[in-house]
Amino acid sequence: MILLDSVTKKYPGDSVPALDSISLHIEPNEFAFLVGKSGAGKSTFIKMITKEEIPDSGKIIVGGIDLDYVKKRHIPGYRRRLGVVFQDFKLLPRRTVYENVAFALEIAGMSGKEIRKTVPKVLELVDLLDQAKKFPNQLSGGQQQRVSIARSVARQPKILIADEPTANLDKLTTEEIIQLLKKINDFGTTILVSTHDETIVNTLQKRVITLKDGKIVSDQKNNGIYKLDATPVPKVPNRIVQTPGHALRQRRKVI
Amino acid sequence: MVEEITQKEKTKKLKKAAKKGLKVMRKTKAHHPLRKEARIIKYGTSGFARNIWLSSAATIVMAITLIILFVTVIASVVLTNTAEMMRDKIDITIYLKPNTSEQTLDNLTEIISTDSNIKSVETSTSEEEYEKFIAENAESEEIINILDDEMKAIMIGKMQSTMRVKVYNVDNLDSIKDLVAKNQTFQKYIDNEKAPTYDVNQAEIATITSWARIARTGGIILAAVFLVISVLIIFSTIRMAIFSRREEIYMMKLVGADKSFIRGPFLVEAEICGIVAGLIAATVSYFGFMHLAPKLSGYGINVDTITDILSSNKLILVYLVFIAMGIVIGRVSARLAVSRYLYKA
Repeated sequence: MILLDSVTKKYPGDSVPALDSISLHIEPNEFAFLVGKSGAGKSTFIKMITKEEIPDSGKIIVGGIDLDYVKKRHIPGYRRRLGVVFQDFKLLPRRTVYENVAFALEIAGMSGKEIRKTVPKVLELVDLLDQAKKFPNQLSGGQQQRVSIARSVARQPKILIADEPTANLDKLTTEEIIQLLKKINDFGTTILVSTHDETIVNTLQKRVITLKDGKIVSDQKNNGIYKLDATPVPKVPNRIVQTPGHALRQRRKVI
Repeated sequence: MVEEITQKEKTKKLKKAAKKGLKVMRKTKAHHPLRKEARIIKYGTSGFARNIWLSSAATIVMAITLIILFVTVIASVVLTNTAEMMRDKIDITIYLKPNTSEQTLDNLTEIISTDSNIKSVETSTSEEEYEKFIAENAESEEIINILDDEMKAIMIGKMQSTMRVKVYNVDNLDSIKDLVAKNQTFQKYIDNEKAPTYDVNQAEIATITSWARIARTGGIILAAVFLVISVLIIFSTIRMAIFSRREEIYMMKLVGADKSFIRGPFLVEAEICGIVAGLIAATVSYFGFMHLAPKLSGYGINVDTITDILSSNKLILVYLVFIAMGIVIGRVSARLAVSRYLYKA
């Protein structure tokens, strides 16, 4: 569903790359955490997937779309196929909760009738139906994040990317948000959550990809005792990453 | 060999995936064509209402600009008309000997009409000049009472016949002067006691000519300057409004709104500002002008053209011009202002 093959990105002026030859594959319906400390390359990783940034080298395929072929004019259309949840919620401040969710459907060209049918259902999913007429600044951080999630899932995307979705939230709300994401994953959506908080990772026993200095230092299924500061795991991932590049290298080895 | 095939397969697979993905993406665009426009208008209208303070500020600035533009254009038209009117009133009077016959006057008219600068010639015999004198002094009993037949004959014998000449170009009278000075018939009948009035009116002609020129060129320059200033003011006002919403633009882009969907509501808001500003400016200008017109007219300023336009059914057209200008200024300013943030994100 998300496939990165030898992706490298270096920002001008930086001595080390933000992402250094990253290869990984996230399967359909998978729930994965992307973990790393500040500056590890998580945001760059997410920005690559949302096509806010373009890699210097390597290939990215998301939901069957090779991002090399997504031209500038196609970016809005491509983004509409993704669900993205942001750390700072990125809600439209001048629009109500209902309008924020409806906006995502309107830009996708959905009819008014369909929107009126869909939005209440999505708001019910995130338990915010009674707050529909409120503006974002009238809601708590957790509620705002739930609106953000409602907006991102309203179009029923196959992939949901969440960039530090709980960074601004308290422990209880964090747990609620993670459970909500799990619920969405249960409906069949592939979910990638970036975080620097290992306690979130340990709430679910899911795949954990650890980034450090722009490299994947670990990629494993979590057994509930994940520690970010634990002894660095070997650089060779202990999970077989099936990417075209990986396959290519395997064949080369055979030759 | 194996490597080469794998590479080819890989590229083929990726391209196939990309094509399939892009095809689906394009498919999602196919929806009702007017739906998007209707939503843009809806968001623009609600944006105008929700940002009522900034919208009002932009509207007021735009209305003031339109009023300034109206005043500039009106000043230019009124001054040009007044100058033209005064130029029309100016004539050169050539005084001929008393009792010059009508036939002679006709001959002289023919001679002077050969000059291409001549617009019209009016002649008047001594008797006609006397009649004019009587008409002008009809209310003065003292004069009328002393004018008996004997006095009439004396006066007619003393009064010059005249030729009143109007020209196209008051700045170039040399050829006419030349003709009058050198032509033998003119020399025979011209009255040497009273010279033609070229020089008497010269200063007046020069002043009016320069006024007309100032009114025309100055008006155009002033209108252009005001237009640029006003666009800058409106641009800044709208940009300020959009600056406060740059995050919103960025958010819209991140959730996949295309540029026209983001830009559209801002343009609609600016257009609404333009329409409201046009209506305000047209109304203020109309009542302002109608209030001032009689006073201006009293000073000898020609306001007829503008009064005619504003009094007739062309008033609707004036309103439409104001509204159209408001829309254009608003749209141009908003487009410039929003593009900065639209392409940045």
